Amino acid sequence: MNLFGRRNVLLALFALAAIAPHFVNTYHLFVCNLILVYVLLSIGLNILVGYAGQLAFANAAMFGIGAYGTGLLQVHFGLPFWLAFPLGAVIATSVGLAISLPALRVSGLYLALSSLAFAQFTQWVFLHWEKVTFGAGGFKTPTVSFAPLPVSKPIGLYYLTLILAAVLFLLAQNLVRSRIGRAFVAVRDGEVAAESLGIDLLRYKALAFGLSGFYAGIAGGIYSAMLNFVSPEGYDLFQMVLQKAMVVVGGLGSVAGSVLGAGAIVALLEALREVKGIQEIAFGAILVVFILFMPGGLVGFLKRKVPGWEEPLHRKGAGSAPAPAAAPAPAAGEARP
Amino acid sequence: MTAALLSLRGVSVGFGGVKVLDGIDLDVRPGEIRGLIGPNGAGKTTLLNVVCGIHGPSQGDVLLEGRSIVGLKPSRIAALGLGRTFQTSQLFRGMTVLENLMSGLHRRTRAGLIAASLNLASYREEEARAEEEARLALEFIGMADFADRPGTALSFGQQRVIEIARTLIGDPKVVLLDEPAVGLSMNRLAEFDRLLRRIRDEKGVTLILIEHVIRLVMDVCDQVTVLSSGRRIADGPPDQVRNDPDVIEAYLGKELRARHTAS
Repeated sequence: MNLFGRRNVLLALFALAAIAPHFVNTYHLFVCNLILVYVLLSIGLNILVGYAGQLAFANAAMFGIGAYGTGLLQVHFGLPFWLAFPLGAVIATSVGLAISLPALRVSGLYLALSSLAFAQFTQWVFLHWEKVTFGAGGFKTPTVSFAPLPVSKPIGLYYLTLILAAVLFLLAQNLVRSRIGRAFVAVRDGEVAAESLGIDLLRYKALAFGLSGFYAGIAGGIYSAMLNFVSPEGYDLFQMVLQKAMVVVGGLGSVAGSVLGAGAIVALLEALREVKGIQEIAFGAILVVFILFMPGGLVGFLKRKVPGWEEPLHRKGAGSAPAPAAAPAPAAGEARP
Repeated sequence: MTAALLSLRGVSVGFGGVKVLDGIDLDVRPGEIRGLIGPNGAGKTTLLNVVCGIHGPSQGDVLLEGRSIVGLKPSRIAALGLGRTFQTSQLFRGMTVLENLMSGLHRRTRAGLIAASLNLASYREEEARAEEEARLALEFIGMADFADRPGTALSFGQQRVIEIARTLIGDPKVVLLDEPAVGLSMNRLAEFDRLLRRIRDEKGVTLILIEHVIRLVMDVCDQVTVLSSGRRIADGPPDQVRNDPDVIEAYLGKELRARHTAS
């Protein structure tokens, strides 16, 4: 068998993640947890953009809705985290389903623009509906307790995220190779042909939006608990660009790619944290390099170079990224003022 | 006389002031291979799009097994048993040939979100059956060896045949083929002729063949309908249509018609 096959590499990464808390300091544990949050986000975004081919820019907003939902349900209604967290994910999923309705009428650039408008509207609500959202200053959320388990909050939260990320990774992996995954790819590669085979566009676009909303909602709930704090700027356009970059760098249309992309981008941002000015330049440069020279992302590279690396769906296909999905990313470099 | 499987009743389509189809009547009986020919701009593809639900007709009705399908979504019409292929290759580029065929089984498989994401036994069984069926469909078109290739790595002609198989695997009652023989060489054409007959005889599927390769149409079709400038100008067995003066005029012009009939 191939030692460096896809499954082995992912299992090794999981094992490494499982023992990591014993070796790293609090700060690095936070970074590891952040990577897992981004793994969730980019898997959800990849289902929507990479598989179903819907070029939407609302994922950061749904991440924010998950975080705000989880936080505000605790603050305003006194719900415990363990109830507010799943409800936050349900809210984000519902919003995802709701914004899929206009998305059925528009596609391509129009979808990108209308979803961006929705994201900006969400920002506006976070900022200006002060009675509920506490405005630009944000608000503190109660510290999550893992009692009766004998673990501290950072460790408990880390393992909770790891378990969720692993489970939701496996579910997504199963899903994309099923008839539902094939329907997503069919919608992405040819709407008219997909319909001629009896695939209902409405249903599968809505499903992809709902799933990405669900993954983003879960990530948002965790993120709010990590920070004990929720404020609008974590869910802005730069957040969206980060997530898109993870999906592009990892590989569009690959669940495993989302894991690699999330890890790579967070690691890069951390490595360059010391040199503030460089961060954005390096970030933009990497995006341009990937779009120009590695359109299949890291996974496309691995598929060519590592014999055992097989991706479900387009098993032996070359790493061909759908062109429209890669198109918005060049704007990434200039997205941050 | 058996009842028609697919009927058009006075179908007209206008874009702006231009009538692309003008009062078309058509009855296709089960088990028929129907040819639909006509010069460029005759309205053949528009007719196909109306039948598939991509445009609505401005007037008239389309009936599948006696039931009106006007106003239904294309995916719904497909689910009622109307398949089609396209003029340009529409294989899904992100999938292998086998996966393309399996996507043709979409409406005949059931696994939902939960069964699929949890990899439940019911889903795995269905998936295994689907794969088996897709392999059989590839054998039917003699392309079993191509299963794991990406669809886009094949020749144009091969992609077209795979598309036909992808439509057939969904078990349609009638399939509309939009210029399937474009780009086929002469010896391939004979093979394709046999394939069409086998589809009708072994799969029991009614075919409507929109085609420019007149030789294929005349060889394989039981009935031929000729459109010109949005009107039906002839309808009948190939031999009759071939010698119809209006058809000759539509294809060759008035002068040649005179010469043709004189000789």
